[in-house]
Amino acid sequence: MKRAGRIALLVLVAVSALATGFWLHPWNWGGVPRSGNVARLMAASLPDMEGKSQALAQWQGKVMVVNFWATWCQPCLEEIPEFVRMQKKFGSQGLQFVGIAIDHPAKVREFAATHHMNYPVLIGEMEAIELARVSGNELGGLPFTVILDRKGQLIGTELGGLNERKLATIIGSAM
Amino acid sequence: MNLRIAARFLVELLLAACAGCALASAAADLLAPEQAFRFSATLIEPGLVEVRYRIADGYYMYRDKFRFTTIPQSAGLGDALFPPGKIKDDEFFGRVETYRGELVIRLPVKSAGGFMLKAVSQGCADAGVCYLPVTQTARLVPAQSSGEAVRSEAYASELLRLQDATPSR
Repeated sequence: MKRAGRIALLVLVAVSALATGFWLHPWNWGGVPRSGNVARLMAASLPDMEGKSQALAQWQGKVMVVNFWATWCQPCLEEIPEFVRMQKKFGSQGLQFVGIAIDHPAKVREFAATHHMNYPVLIGEMEAIELARVSGNELGGLPFTVILDRKGQLIGTELGGLNERKLATIIGSAM
Repeated sequence: MNLRIAARFLVELLLAACAGCALASAAADLLAPEQAFRFSATLIEPGLVEVRYRIADGYYMYRDKFRFTTIPQSAGLGDALFPPGKIKDDEFFGRVETYRGELVIRLPVKSAGGFMLKAVSQGCADAGVCYLPVTQTARLVPAQSSGEAVRSEAYASELLRLQDATPSR
């Protein structure tokens, strides 16, 4: 009994250490932005592929998946066909993808047309880089995705590729 | 019996914690671009700059994304001499040349005096993340011969110049 108690204590210590390590992980303190920063994203307007200014707030009320990408970023291009498929599948349930390309409008238009992008794509330079940064993208990496609930509150960010399974985990009950 | 249940619960907790760690570490262990692509520049002899990138394991740089300029421009930068990189056929970009490990690029210059070297580069991590182009700057002074990286930041203007220079797919 005494030995079992000692083992239990050891396990408890190990679990605590792991949990603390997980809690201290950069993903937890650096990756997820403060809510005020998402307010800045939601307050922003950027030109679309035709050059017309579009406010991000117009999609509030839906679960928004705001994806920062570029045509020069290979991992960004790999996930877009999946986003197109998911927009088609879940759009009627209130899922809204919004692309923000850090790129030249002509290149974005060409890619969007050839890959049949079925969700809005906005284009930005310095402002888009800054919006990604304040939303939690400290490293300046792409793709970077911000997921917001129907009230425009942050529910997750992801640096690197996303797929349906991963996105479903983040969105959870917010749909 | 109670102890056995408690132990099982703890083991399950432990497994859950490990799953959490694995999820969290996917992109979180990424280096900042300045660490992933360590830049230095040296005047190895009058009229010849050696630019060195120490590329961390699991990261790579694109040859066609490098841009070098000097301040003042009158320092007279010649064509950069690149070593052969690894060529791969990319699904989206066609034929691309990339570098891993240690990369040394030589840059001929006309100037006999000191100048600033601005190096723009862009690379990615195998983890599936690409960095915005980064501008790193070194001050090169003949007497000291070794350039100190004094600045490192991303510029949208550099990004756009890079895009202009990139051949269309």
